[in-house]
Amino acid sequence: MSLFRIFINQLEEDDQEMATSKKVITRGEWEKKLNAVKLRKEDMNTLVMNFLVTEGFVEAADKFQRESGTKPEIDLATITDRMAVKKAVQNGNVEDAIEKVNDLNPEILDTNPELFFHLQQQRLIELIRQGKTEEALEFAQEELAPRGEENHAFLQELEKTVALLVFEDASNCPVKDLLDISHRLKTASEVNAAILTSQSHEKDPKLPSLLKMLIWAQNQLDEKAVYPHINDLSTGQLEDPSD
Amino acid sequence: MPTTTSSSSSSAASSSGNRQADVFSRLASSDPEVKLKALREVKNQIIGNRTKKLSFLKLGAVPAIASALSDADCSSNSSILVQSAAALGSFACGFEAGVQAVLDAGVFPRLLRLLTSSDEKVVDAGARSLRMIFQSNQAPKYDFLQEKNMEFLFSLLNSENENVSGLGASIIAHACGTSVEQQVLCDAGVLEKLVLLLDGSLSQREACLESLATVLKSNPEAVSRFVGLEAGRYMSSVTELTKDRYPRTRLLSCLCLVVIYNTSPSYFLNMGTKSSLVTTLLELLNDPGQSGDEAALGLSSLIAEKEDLQKLAYEANAIKNIVDILKTGSELNPKRLQGLFLSLAELCSKLEDCRCSFLSLEMLDLLVNELRHKNADVRTAACICFRNAARSIKNLSAGRFTTDHVMLPLVQLLHDPSSSVQVAVLGALSNIVLDFSSPKSTFIEYGGIKQLIELSKSMDPNTRCSSLRALRNLMFLADNNRKELFYSEVKAQGFVALISDPEPSVQEQALALLRNLVDGCINSIEFVFDEDGLILDTVGRQLRKAPQAQMAIQGMYVLTNVASGTELHKEAVMQQLFPQPQAESNNFMLKFLQSHESQLRSATVWTIINLISPSSPGALDRHVKLRNEGIIPQLKNMVNDACLDVKIRIRTVLSQSMSFGDN
Repeated sequence: MSLFRIFINQLEEDDQEMATSKKVITRGEWEKKLNAVKLRKEDMNTLVMNFLVTEGFVEAADKFQRESGTKPEIDLATITDRMAVKKAVQNGNVEDAIEKVNDLNPEILDTNPELFFHLQQQRLIELIRQGKTEEALEFAQEELAPRGEENHAFLQELEKTVALLVFEDASNCPVKDLLDISHRLKTASEVNAAILTSQSHEKDPKLPSLLKMLIWAQNQLDEKAVYPHINDLSTGQLEDPSD
Repeated sequence: MPTTTSSSSSSAASSSGNRQADVFSRLASSDPEVKLKALREVKNQIIGNRTKKLSFLKLGAVPAIASALSDADCSSNSSILVQSAAALGSFACGFEAGVQAVLDAGVFPRLLRLLTSSDEKVVDAGARSLRMIFQSNQAPKYDFLQEKNMEFLFSLLNSENENVSGLGASIIAHACGTSVEQQVLCDAGVLEKLVLLLDGSLSQREACLESLATVLKSNPEAVSRFVGLEAGRYMSSVTELTKDRYPRTRLLSCLCLVVIYNTSPSYFLNMGTKSSLVTTLLELLNDPGQSGDEAALGLSSLIAEKEDLQKLAYEANAIKNIVDILKTGSELNPKRLQGLFLSLAELCSKLEDCRCSFLSLEMLDLLVNELRHKNADVRTAACICFRNAARSIKNLSAGRFTTDHVMLPLVQLLHDPSSSVQVAVLGALSNIVLDFSSPKSTFIEYGGIKQLIELSKSMDPNTRCSSLRALRNLMFLADNNRKELFYSEVKAQGFVALISDPEPSVQEQALALLRNLVDGCINSIEFVFDEDGLILDTVGRQLRKAPQAQMAIQGMYVLTNVASGTELHKEAVMQQLFPQPQAESNNFMLKFLQSHESQLRSATVWTIINLISPSSPGALDRHVKLRNEGIIPQLKNMVNDACLDVKIRIRTVLSQSMSFGDN
């Protein structure tokens, strides 16, 4: 290529950079900036412990405490109780879960009408799943209908749930989502959150929020600069912008 | 399917009833294992389930559980203690009938004893159930003035157990009522103890905020003490908590700040704090639960009588927000409705922009609907809303309030069984009848006059006062027909009774009403001469009785208006002022002229102006009489009266005087 050609190409590239007017940061520069940020080991340990405790991994939390010296934010014994409740709901043993919650703290269900309704609702769903139609009808009459009377806000969901009883094949009706296992998980999550709140613990671990913040920050920075991204959160690998 | 459903529903009812009876009978078992199981069953059935609480209550479960607890207390059976205490606590949780039953069962002292148990679970159960009881209005009175009780209270606050310390705070929050109690608590150092709970768990923080609000309410000393703690650190903490992630914490901290603001506003010089308090409460209005209900009342309390805060709220879109909530169509809790209407009323109390904004949002229909709400507080709040919105002259003269649609329900409320509703609707009508735009009055057509007169005879002095105020406004610049209509219902005797009412405030309104009645054309003056001048005599008599200033002002204006009439009228007034035989310097005119109230001095001078107006024949003689009684000389001394209005009137009198050849 002639010198002139090279020169013209260079000008074109310059033009392009000026048109986008975004700062370009090379991998080298970026990694240098990252290394300049100081993190404390204790903070990271706290994050890990917070995750283990909130999600309910008791044994892992206990081991981690012993190995790192990080103190758990709450008594690990209470985690065991809480996990028992969560597990009971996930397995469809709602009555058992209710008894356990009441042993843990009788105020939770007494002061959380929405949660109580959802647990009763789940009980009904389990009865229907097991094909115990008579028992389900009785239960709907005795336990769920009063909830609707006590609180009109529940009527709509109540109607949806009772609709399950009307269809011959509940697993193929419009409200079949209620029978999905994910509904159990949703209810389990709700109970877990309520117990955590009653223990003055935040119901969500910090780690997901930090990761969301990372993604948001990258989106914001994208408007101003070109730089290596973390695209795969599970690996945290830096990927060059041109890839 | 339908037949199966109905038969299974009846079998459901009977089998559930059977099951309940069965577990109930097992409660009384002598076998502790069976009893324990039964207790757990009852507990698990009633928690969260108001319907079950009611049905077990009817079976008599509470006394049965109470006796189980007593027996277990003697035999120290922890499990039974825990389960029975938890069951009783659940009965008392947010369920007034349950609280009543628990207290009636006499188990309260037993529950207190549980707090001293060595078993932490027993302590927890006892503390929780006691806290439920203390959240009710029916909780036993706690005598803070007894040293023993104070010691106990502080032992609770000092406890490591968060349920126990929370109980201590709860007792304060719900049982502390008088300023004496507040003082005793503060002197004992309760504030210093409570603030420690701010750094504790969620429930401790919330209990602390509630109790702080109770101790600080309307007590400037307590407030200054609190703000002074650690150079304002805890005041900042409470302010920070208004941004907490839990809505109930935000609400309770806001309510605490509202209490402080209402008691000692000087701590809120920072506009930013005021503004964020208003906006936080506005946000909380959207909370569907109890927090939203209390936020509405909190907001109305905050902005009451404070124009600057009302403006802040208006600028923060308060009216639109509240109207949106009201229009959602879902059944709102009476407490929330009351709070929302009171907030709207406060917003409209002084600011015309608010009133116009509110009325432009098609709210009248909704408001009219709520006049029929079954809760008296809601009806009262709706009326107050009407009253304040009707202060908008623009909208009033546009006839928005005098349509049948609005007027009829309002008039119907004059018969409301609740006196607070009556007073509130009278307030609304007082403003609405000032609509001069239409020649006919819907109100009168609905027989309003008769009803107002009826209410002026009510047992409640507030009602009498408010109805007279409404009548007073109704007679303002009224035509003869209206006046005749009114007078025919009252007559002289009726008026005498009103003017002689035992309550000074009622007398004042009666005289103001009379003043408006005789104002205007000369014929109106004849009312006071009816039945041999009975009314005029009564007015004179009341004035001679050394009345309160406000009453005297209205009375003198009555005389002023009468003295603006014919020669006969003026002479009649002179008769009242100087009756013969004259008692020892019973000259109330002199006293009035020396009053501190400028309005009274002014009214008296006006009477004199009318009495000696040169155009009437007897003016000279009357002038002589006034001079002899020392009135004119007194006026000469008042030439430099502090009140400009009085000064000008006196100059008028003195120039009239000079025309009679008086130096």
